Amino acid sequence: MTHRPSTEALIRSLAASPPPPPLTARGLAGPVVAALTISLGVFLWLIGLRANLGQALADPAILAKSLLPLALAVPALVLALRSARPGRVVRPGLLILPAAAALALFLARGVQVPSGQILPELLGHSAAACLLSITALSAPATLAGLIVLRRGASLRPARTGALIGMAAAAGTAAGYALHCTEDSPLFFTTWYGLAILIGTGIGALAGQRLLRW
Amino acid sequence: MTPDAQTLAWHCPGPAQQANVMRSRTEGALDQDRIWDDLMHRANQGDGAAFLQFLTQVTPRLRGLIRVRGRGLPPDLHEDILQEVLLAIHLKRGTWDGTGPVRFWLYAVARHKVVDAFRRRGRRLHLPLDDVAEMLAADPGPAPLAARDADRMLGMIDARSAALVRAVRLEGQSTEDAAARIGVTPGTARVVLHRAMKRLAELAERMK
Repeated sequence: MTHRPSTEALIRSLAASPPPPPLTARGLAGPVVAALTISLGVFLWLIGLRANLGQALADPAILAKSLLPLALAVPALVLALRSARPGRVVRPGLLILPAAAALALFLARGVQVPSGQILPELLGHSAAACLLSITALSAPATLAGLIVLRRGASLRPARTGALIGMAAAAGTAAGYALHCTEDSPLFFTTWYGLAILIGTGIGALAGQRLLRW
Repeated sequence: MTPDAQTLAWHCPGPAQQANVMRSRTEGALDQDRIWDDLMHRANQGDGAAFLQFLTQVTPRLRGLIRVRGRGLPPDLHEDILQEVLLAIHLKRGTWDGTGPVRFWLYAVARHKVVDAFRRRGRRLHLPLDDVAEMLAADPGPAPLAARDADRMLGMIDARSAALVRAVRLEGQSTEDAAARIGVTPGTARVVLHRAMKRLAELAERMK
């Protein structure tokens, strides 16, 4: 025999151990939302909301700036949790709807404006700040999500990490929109979308390392 | 062993009996799911006795799976891998949320850990999920340590067919004699024998 204890002894000792804390939706959403609230709260407190926010949000196009990312963040969070449960199927269908809506907004605006105006509108004047802010502000939420999901059992760590990164970045974009005054769908679908993709990629890379078990 | 009507019906199933057999198998699986789900549910609420029972029930299945997939590795290593799987079941049991049968959860965890364990030991391993599902869903019986081990292979088919195969193919009796001994007609015996050989061939193929 070797140094290893008998399997029967192992089973007895495992059965005598207290069960690990369950992985729950609340357990994941709590820390992620808290991290988002803190980083966005500090950011908006320092740099300010846009002028006449209430009035602006009455415009459906401006409301969409916050609602679309939110409509991506929530299912991404749900899927991240699901993907950390072995045996559950993860269907990305829920993510396609907000993405398709953003693409539709982009195209609708694209055919609406004169062709000479497309590029200036798309580039805007705060693209770099937008990318940088959303990416940086989403990092704490991504990290919080990854820490919780380390208790999970993802069979595809990169995918789970990508989903939590997407949820964090999309949630951050929804909050960042309360500050950002560039309301052309050409601008915000492009740059918010790109920022969310960057967050997703960072999440995938981090997940691959942190979520192995 | 005295043949009775029920086991004979299992030997020469007509369409109706076949349906019965199928149904009782499905019901068996559902019963097992109910038991396992209940055990794991209680286990996660802190019932150590339920968890002990759960682990005790799944261990033979896991051991069989690892043996089949780990032929060529020393058996001592198999037990190490089994223990890794059991440990993972404990550490990750909080990720089962009761949405589906715990069996699905168990397959996924076992497959992940077994593949991972063999990979870390420098052995390439191809393990489709279906195989895991089938192994774990199979009746708990003697695990096939080696595909060539006839006794173990015969342990995986029903006892009557196994007896017939043993008598005719291994001991060289005539089909008529063997049929008379277990109390069926020679024609029935030939059908049973044919089906059993086919099933054994499938089993051997799967274990390659």
